[in-house]
Amino acid sequence: MNKQFTFEGKQKTTLIALMVLGLVCMVLTWFAGGQFAHERFWTNFLHNVAFFTGISFLAVFVYACKVLAYSGWHSAFKRVMEAISMFLPYGLVFMLIIIAGNYLGFHHLYHWTDAAAVEADPILKGKASFLNSNFYAIYTILVVGMWIIFAYKFRSLSLQEDEDGEDDNFTAYRRMKKWAAWFLPLGGFTSAGIIWLWIMSIDAHWYSTMFAWYTTASWLVSCVAIIILLLIYLKSKGYYSFVTQEHLHDLGKYLFGFSVFWTYLWFSQYMLIWYANVGEETVYFQDRIREFPVLFYGNLLINFVLPFLVLMRNDTKRKFGTLGFVAVAVLFGHWFDFFNMIKPGSLKAAQHGHGGHDGGHGSEGGHDHHGELLIQQGTEAKAQFMGGGGHEVAEHAAEAGSFFMGFDIPGLLEIGTFLGFGALFLFVVLSALAKAPLYPEFDPYIQESLHHEVEQHAPAEHH
Amino acid sequence: MSAVVSPIREPLITGNKTYHQITEDLCGPTEKAPNLAWIIAFIISIAFLTFGVFCIAWTIWFGIGSWDLNRTIGWGWDITNFVWWIGIGHAGTLISAILLLFRQKWRTGVNRAAEAMTIFAVLCAALFPGIHVGRAWVVFYFFPYPNTRGPLWPNFNSPLLWDLFAISTYFTVSLLFWYTGLVPDFASVRDRAKGFRKKIYNFVSFGWTGSAKHWQRWESLSLILAGIATPLVLSVHTIVSFDFATSVIPGWHTTIFPPYFVAGAIFSGFAMVLTLMLITRKILNLEDYITIAHIESMNKIILLTGTIVGVAYLTELFIAWYSGYIYEQFAFYNRVFGPYWWSYVGMMSCNVLSPQIFWSKKMRRNIFVTFVMSIFINIGMWFERFVIIATTLARDYLPSSWSWYDPTWVEIGIYLGTMGIFFTLYLLFTRVAPVVAAAEVKSILKTSGDQYAGKNAHSHGHGHGHGHHHETTHKVEYDDTADSAPLSAATPMPETKVEEVTEVVEENTMEKVVEESIGIIDDVEDDLKKIEGIGPKIEGLLKAGGFKTFAALAGADLDAIQKILDDAGPRYRIHDPATWSAQAKMAAEGRWEELQKWQDELDGGKE
Repeated sequence: MNKQFTFEGKQKTTLIALMVLGLVCMVLTWFAGGQFAHERFWTNFLHNVAFFTGISFLAVFVYACKVLAYSGWHSAFKRVMEAISMFLPYGLVFMLIIIAGNYLGFHHLYHWTDAAAVEADPILKGKASFLNSNFYAIYTILVVGMWIIFAYKFRSLSLQEDEDGEDDNFTAYRRMKKWAAWFLPLGGFTSAGIIWLWIMSIDAHWYSTMFAWYTTASWLVSCVAIIILLLIYLKSKGYYSFVTQEHLHDLGKYLFGFSVFWTYLWFSQYMLIWYANVGEETVYFQDRIREFPVLFYGNLLINFVLPFLVLMRNDTKRKFGTLGFVAVAVLFGHWFDFFNMIKPGSLKAAQHGHGGHDGGHGSEGGHDHHGELLIQQGTEAKAQFMGGGGHEVAEHAAEAGSFFMGFDIPGLLEIGTFLGFGALFLFVVLSALAKAPLYPEFDPYIQESLHHEVEQHAPAEHH
Repeated sequence: MSAVVSPIREPLITGNKTYHQITEDLCGPTEKAPNLAWIIAFIISIAFLTFGVFCIAWTIWFGIGSWDLNRTIGWGWDITNFVWWIGIGHAGTLISAILLLFRQKWRTGVNRAAEAMTIFAVLCAALFPGIHVGRAWVVFYFFPYPNTRGPLWPNFNSPLLWDLFAISTYFTVSLLFWYTGLVPDFASVRDRAKGFRKKIYNFVSFGWTGSAKHWQRWESLSLILAGIATPLVLSVHTIVSFDFATSVIPGWHTTIFPPYFVAGAIFSGFAMVLTLMLITRKILNLEDYITIAHIESMNKIILLTGTIVGVAYLTELFIAWYSGYIYEQFAFYNRVFGPYWWSYVGMMSCNVLSPQIFWSKKMRRNIFVTFVMSIFINIGMWFERFVIIATTLARDYLPSSWSWYDPTWVEIGIYLGTMGIFFTLYLLFTRVAPVVAAAEVKSILKTSGDQYAGKNAHSHGHGHGHGHHHETTHKVEYDDTADSAPLSAATPMPETKVEEVTEVVEENTMEKVVEESIGIIDDVEDDLKKIEGIGPKIEGLLKAGGFKTFAALAGADLDAIQKILDDAGPRYRIHDPATWSAQAKMAAEGRWEELQKWQDELDGGKE
């Protein structure tokens, strides 16, 4: 029985090659990324770090839910969830680079880091006790650090089950339950702040109470997609024979259900902002619909229409081909969703705030101009929503052909960077997976999980 | 459904129940006269209901002016109560639908009552918009009805109209869901009933026979309804939240409202389920079906949803500050420190702080604490709606129009009246239907009965892994060489898994056998026509005379039988019962071949 995963040389080589590709793409972005190359570089960096770190956090969160809900069927593949959570420390290290950037001013991700801009902008000034480099640094380090502690605790308790062997009291499991109970509220409360700081504050004037939950749902779907893809891959390599079609069927239901849930949150946020049409809020969607239509509509097509239509049927969730296809699409789709959350705001800031990084900071009054413009934008957006013209669209199109690669849509460099980060993520996950048996023999629910079967009630199914 | 159960799971049915006992325990209450507690509760409920009807009549007669609503505070207790009742109506469908999809077995103990509660709560909720319009006689204008005074339609852009659709859809699906679950249980009640009662239950159970096909369709229907009901649970309170959040009123317009309202609704619904179930289980002696494990699970959901609501409260507060929008900031300042601060304190302490005691396992499993908490949460969730509605409206953009609102006795009376409606309907429900879904409880007996699962499991169900010592024998060893499923894009189509259906069917027939075998002991009848010379008419006479079984007839005195025949009239007097007792003796002892042989020799039962 193939209970132990071996991380083979060939797999390592492929992943390292992809990582090199990612690195090359990042270097290329820096030196030849077109207009706003440095903004493009830093947003790509933040984009991928936030995306994969969040997936890793969600793996811990889902794991804690599994433990607390007495879920039996997850047990067969719990080592995969544990392995995904092992990316968190890498995420924190990458975030340290961004934190350093906030202080040293070598990137312009958040214009609230720019003291002059804040000074000129009453709204940013009002938020300054939250949006400042110190709070960003301390909060990120403490919170992600806390997540890491929990991820390692779950992992070590899970491995302890193997060590303890037959244990009538399930000591390790019972301890895990205590930790899981702590993690749900801690993770639930703290992740909101992380999302506000890392992502929502790019559009620093804008706010939405839904945003944290919306982003978490995006991470959740991606996390399920990655679990599915890893299991299908590992099965094709001859591992995980005890994870069957039945488990994947249920994971497919998660992928379907959480995609619909994500859409629900998307719709609730969009609909309320559209309906109330308050300028300060509407500007966010206004910009995206008018100037980033590929992002705005593509997001819905990939993340809602596709999984909804394909996974509606029973059998598509049981065929590894279709399930895998949707998982790949949706994983890309939510990466795309993060692109949509991050890029438009930073492009706006780059266009209005300072004329490109190369020109250095403070290109004549750029900053003073900046705050004013953002306020103006809100009113403008409302006017445009009411039927006014979008002069920026034309201006923008003339500027960079039909698309502004790396901002309007992901360009090849973004795809390469994504592959590079994805390869690193996989490298970490597979290394962690190789360190312990895949089969958690002494999990209290393992027998239930092995016998897991999905009820199907289709009366007239052919077989 | 996996037949293997982890040894760590707690049993969900205690008392070593058999299928027959489950039927007895759960159908029994509908067959007996109500006890004193029920009668007192019913009288009180009817009294409240009557007062409510009086207050509604008062409102309609004198107009909305009999309430304390004013031009600043246009929504007060009416909409607060409406949202409160709608929220309570969420737990039922959550338990039936979402927990069904998540295969939470403990739902079977409480789903029936929770679904009933949902329906009654939605009825109470629907009342308020109807009265609130003032001119109750034109309330049909709610519906998109092309009226005769020109092209006058309701405003389709209004979330209030969406609410109408959402709630009526939700009500319909919940009702279907509840009724579908009731069908097999009504059939069980019918099978035990006699006379007119039997006819009624046969009608309401649609002539259910329990055939494999019936069960299969029933399960399909339940699953389809669960699939439809799941988005509905989300949609209803989402749209209720739109009533507020689509506006531009600070404190109402916030994007987190939809999921936060849904979480709050589930929270309040579970509180009401607990309030009801803790009383019901006590009065109807259902402790074996609604166990401490059930209560603990529900308390966990309360802790979870209460904390989610807490995250939402804090998110709102934080973003109000973060937005830099002074009106938004003032709305929340007003909630916390304004003249209605006490309702905000009530909301926070009942909804977020007090449920935190459920971190302690001891508290989660304490019935008294749970009951008190459930009342707290009912109150807290009422305050939440009051905070959102009245507090926000009381101080609007223009300080000169700021106002104050106190409910009048009429408004209070209507609220109490809906309580009366709710409890009256619930009490009636406990009289006509099994309060716990018997068929569904039976479906988990073999995996969650205390004789099969948990610490004290002793008997051995077919292939159920339980008890640590048995585990080794059941353990499946996976060998990759033997079980390396080929991986391809076109893995075989799924087979229809009918095992579970047949299992339930088996259980159903099994139950019948058990019931029959138990029946033999106290009240059995044999087919006396098997005795040559006895026809259906004489069989009837004999049975009426007390000879119901072969054994009874075998030991009977010949004169006694003759007397029965003589009394019945000349047509029966001619029969000769001489061999009957000897024949009956053979039948009673099961010597059928011998009897057959003898009957061939007899002529019409005579030698």
